[in-house]
Amino acid sequence: MSESSQNLRIALIGNPNTGKTSLFNTLTGLRQRVGNYSGVTVEKKIGIWTLPSGKEVELIDLPGTYSLSASSLDERLAVDLIAGHKENQAPPDLIVVVVDVENLRRNLFLASQASELGVPMVIALNCWDVAEKKGLQIDCKLLQQRLGVPVVPTVAKRKRGTEELAKAVESAVENRQMLIRPKWPKPVQNALERLHEEFITRRNESLREGELQRLLFDRKSAVRERLKTPAKEHESIITEIRNELYKNGYQPDAAESMLRFRFLNPLLNDVLERQAALKKRSKSEGIDQLLLHKFWGLVVFVGMMYVVFQSVYTWAGPIMDLIEGIVGWAQGLASNALTNTPVLQSLITDGIIGGVGAFLVFLPQILVLFFFISILEESGYMARAAFLMDKLFQWCGLNGKSFVPLLTSFACAIPGIMATRTINDNKARVITILVAPLMSCSARLPVYLLLIGAFIEPRYGPNVAGAILFAMHFVGTLVAAPFAWLLNRILNKGRKPEAFVMELPHYRVPQIKLTFFRMYESGKEFVVRAGTVIFAMSIIIWALLYFPRPAAVEQAATAAYVQEDTGTHQPATINGEMTPEASAQLAKRVDAAYLEQSYMGRIGKFVQPIFAPAGYDWKITVGVLASFPAREIIISTLGITYALGGEVDEESDDLRSTLNKAKWESGPRAGENVFNIPVALSIMVFFALCMQCGATLAVIAKELNWGWSIASFITLTGIAWCAAVLVYQIGMLFTG
Amino acid sequence: MRLNKIKKNGLFRVKELNCENDCVARLMAMGLLPEQEIRLVHEAPLGDPIAIEFNGCHMSLRLADAANVEVEPIE
Repeated sequence: MSESSQNLRIALIGNPNTGKTSLFNTLTGLRQRVGNYSGVTVEKKIGIWTLPSGKEVELIDLPGTYSLSASSLDERLAVDLIAGHKENQAPPDLIVVVVDVENLRRNLFLASQASELGVPMVIALNCWDVAEKKGLQIDCKLLQQRLGVPVVPTVAKRKRGTEELAKAVESAVENRQMLIRPKWPKPVQNALERLHEEFITRRNESLREGELQRLLFDRKSAVRERLKTPAKEHESIITEIRNELYKNGYQPDAAESMLRFRFLNPLLNDVLERQAALKKRSKSEGIDQLLLHKFWGLVVFVGMMYVVFQSVYTWAGPIMDLIEGIVGWAQGLASNALTNTPVLQSLITDGIIGGVGAFLVFLPQILVLFFFISILEESGYMARAAFLMDKLFQWCGLNGKSFVPLLTSFACAIPGIMATRTINDNKARVITILVAPLMSCSARLPVYLLLIGAFIEPRYGPNVAGAILFAMHFVGTLVAAPFAWLLNRILNKGRKPEAFVMELPHYRVPQIKLTFFRMYESGKEFVVRAGTVIFAMSIIIWALLYFPRPAAVEQAATAAYVQEDTGTHQPATINGEMTPEASAQLAKRVDAAYLEQSYMGRIGKFVQPIFAPAGYDWKITVGVLASFPAREIIISTLGITYALGGEVDEESDDLRSTLNKAKWESGPRAGENVFNIPVALSIMVFFALCMQCGATLAVIAKELNWGWSIASFITLTGIAWCAAVLVYQIGMLFTG
Repeated sequence: MRLNKIKKNGLFRVKELNCENDCVARLMAMGLLPEQEIRLVHEAPLGDPIAIEFNGCHMSLRLADAANVEVEPIE
């Protein structure tokens, strides 16, 4: 793709739900790359389309928009790109406007706006087959004559019309065919001329005619932000010109829609032939009678979400177990092969293989979720789900589209955060991403199970244990609601959130190929961009837990063990040789001793005072710190610090009883039990709220940026600490 | 009569739009203009938002925004 600079560059624009992406995929096949536009989170999709003549064309898929008024991020990007202000690239050589035949008039509005930017155009009438089936007929030749640009019927799904489209593209570029433009009434013309004089002639701004229109017609236009003229100055000029237009009888906010539709309507006379069938209720409307029904609609919705959630949770489970199994097997293999070089052995088994496993294990959930998201979106149900749930989210500045990402986050925040891409309102998306880690993900479950099993269940029975487990899942949600509200107040600074107008598109049968393609894309992106960060974090934590490693530690631990052993009734040594049990026991003791004086152990002891108000000793502190890359780690870390080995899990009776017996080694409470009910609750609450997940941080950084990622880490850790202290102190009042 | 107050399924004609509202401005770009016939097709279970139909497409909008659209019933 290096020679792409000489290639033709074609931008694909169109309303949402016109099958634009489907056409893009059909034309480029898999020869596409996805990234982000610099500085914004809008997805950038570029592919190579080989024309029948053998010529290669660079095809840019712009996000679906209804207009170019440049108030949303997507629209702004479209205007900038077509006008040639994006990433120092010239305007594209041609625009292909993808039009849904059923909504011809509305779709041509966008085409008409785009035509003002002075780029040749071709119109693709997509979904031709559906329209034909519905008895809709369009006189393409007539339309083509009237519009002045090629009009090509296509059916992207069946690859129909692509050759004709290619021919049309070549001819339109060669002849610079432009869409017919409306002739503005005198007051609008005057206003545009004045803008031209003020900005282009006098202030030397690099603007196209079409961009002057954006300045005139749009209340808040991104084009304004690009002006070199200081904000105050350009604001007053634009306001004055808009006011004058208003005085001359054209309300500037409404003028464009009125005038353009007035211009387009006669062009479509006799072009469209509807047969009576269309007047009847459409199929989609019939389906919506059920799916948007006040009662049944909710029943279906809850059922569907249950299936999605359960699948992310349980379908992915066996594959995750399999991955963990393979990782464990590989670790065993490497461990055995490298027994002679202990540092290398630990680096490769715990650091590298463990680090790769740490992010690979999320892949099944991401794939399963994107399978469903793709189907829900493609079929048109996603918009309905947002419609049903919107009211619940309005008060905190979010909208119904936040529901699926947040629900998913109960299984895992990583696919949840990736799913926020379906939210168009950028601020709502940011807020959703920031509260997603508060949803109780499945990685917290082992921590809850361990602590509840060790402290709550034996004392209060399974009912209370179950209730606490349930409550733990809602602690995060309870904090998330006011947190979202607050974020909205901060981010929106009292301004109203972005408009929430959403089309409920016609239902469609999802294309399975597209579904798998999206799964592949999201999986690849996660592994490539988040995986590397998670991997690096794992290595760092490994090093902190492993080094330094003076041999003296092992000798001291062994000496202590042997000494202690002489007092017990079971001899650990027979004829000077250690029994297997004893040597295993010793190995665990040595590990514990190493961990205690490792950098992580030292850091844990050093920062323990911070966690003292929450009732944590240094061992819990090390567990908490070591779990920052991934929550589950606390269990194996506690296993090592309490000399049970790293292979314990939350069901281990060993670990449970050891925790129950653990005593404070020093300090004012020496001799008392470390773990009591307030401490157990405090740890659970800390884990419920804290951002202990390197993978999530990496994904937030990828979806937003590192600033957000770090800010969210600090905020959530702060909240978690406060809550943990609160729980412990209140708990101690009652039990202490 | 304001759009946020109308009852389900009747046919209405748009009389006036407050185009200073962002949502309304967007709907106008989709062809919701004075004289346009519209129909209220759905209400969300919690009463908000609503879905209207015009020109064969279904759009969802919130009641607060719908208050910016003045309509009259068609007999």
